Amino acid sequence: MAKEIKPPRIRISRRIKKDKVIKVKVKFNHPSFTGLAMADDASEPVFNRVKPVTFIRNMLVYYGDDLVSRLRIASGIADDPLFIFKIKATKEADIKVVFIDNFGKKWEASKKVKFKG
Amino acid sequence: MEFFTRICVSCFFFAFCSSSSIMAETLEEEFKIEGIITIASIKALQAELPKKLDLKIIDLNLKKSDSGWPVLRVQYNSDLISKDKIETTIGEIEDPAGHFYKVHKGPLITNAELSEEEIQAMSVMGDVVGISEVKNPTVDFETSVKRGEDMFKKNCAKCHGLNGNGYGVVAHGFTTWPKQLWAWNGADSGADGYLYWIIENGKSDMPPWGLILSEDERWDLINYIKTIKKPEGI
Repeated sequence: MAKEIKPPRIRISRRIKKDKVIKVKVKFNHPSFTGLAMADDASEPVFNRVKPVTFIRNMLVYYGDDLVSRLRIASGIADDPLFIFKIKATKEADIKVVFIDNFGKKWEASKKVKFKG
Repeated sequence: MEFFTRICVSCFFFAFCSSSSIMAETLEEEFKIEGIITIASIKALQAELPKKLDLKIIDLNLKKSDSGWPVLRVQYNSDLISKDKIETTIGEIEDPAGHFYKVHKGPLITNAELSEEEIQAMSVMGDVVGISEVKNPTVDFETSVKRGEDMFKKNCAKCHGLNGNGYGVVAHGFTTWPKQLWAWNGADSGADGYLYWIIENGKSDMPPWGLILSEDERWDLINYIKTIKKPEGI
């Protein structure tokens, strides 16, 4: 499990042409834990809560001022998830990704789409 | 003789008073414990806590806990120890893996209220989409409800509970508790579309039963769900 939460990071291609589909990679070091573990003897196994549940609840993707995607996530998500998605570069604007966890804490990162060539 | 009788009476009175005062001050308390990861964690807590504090552990229940948290029941003398002291001491005990125990407080599952941004995003992107108006085709409701009850026991009770209280045997592994189904008791046809959509497509941890149940079976379930009443005393 991730020991500390680091701000999310975005990577996009450096050479972007207008109206081309680009790949966006978002990495977020955030722990995820269902809170459950098997704490009983093997003869009659039972899952118990061992820690409070921790997970990213929502991921929102903005392109410029437009909300282009929303991911509703549950506790089954991995620690330190890496999200990769594609987006059509229609304008020079920021791609902003917002993460909100089940405690209501919010993190965001952004990267500017600039056309070259 | 009279002196001896007086001493006996006063001794008896003192013994009675002191025993009744102990009875009055002996309390039983339950603590939900965080950090019990292995069998060794159970043994370590049970061994260490009585060493540090003068109390008696009644039991450490893992199996019959509604919330899923292991429940530690202790008996202690409130004159000598406070509840806060017990909580602090539990927090100071280290389990064999090097973790510290903690008394769980607060809600079972922390899920903060949705922020304005999230609500706005849901309204833009939609949370539950595609609910269309559907009409319940059932003619014989009595038979349909019976079929629905059998299907509910077979497919739904594991999570929603036999009486629909949302505390099914596997439910405490979920992110959120399943819906308490008596919320739909006596609902009119306005709820049909929503219930049909949820059963067909699933939501959150609930799978899309549309892949498994036929259209008629889904309606049988809806008819039965609408008959589930809230048990008395809940």
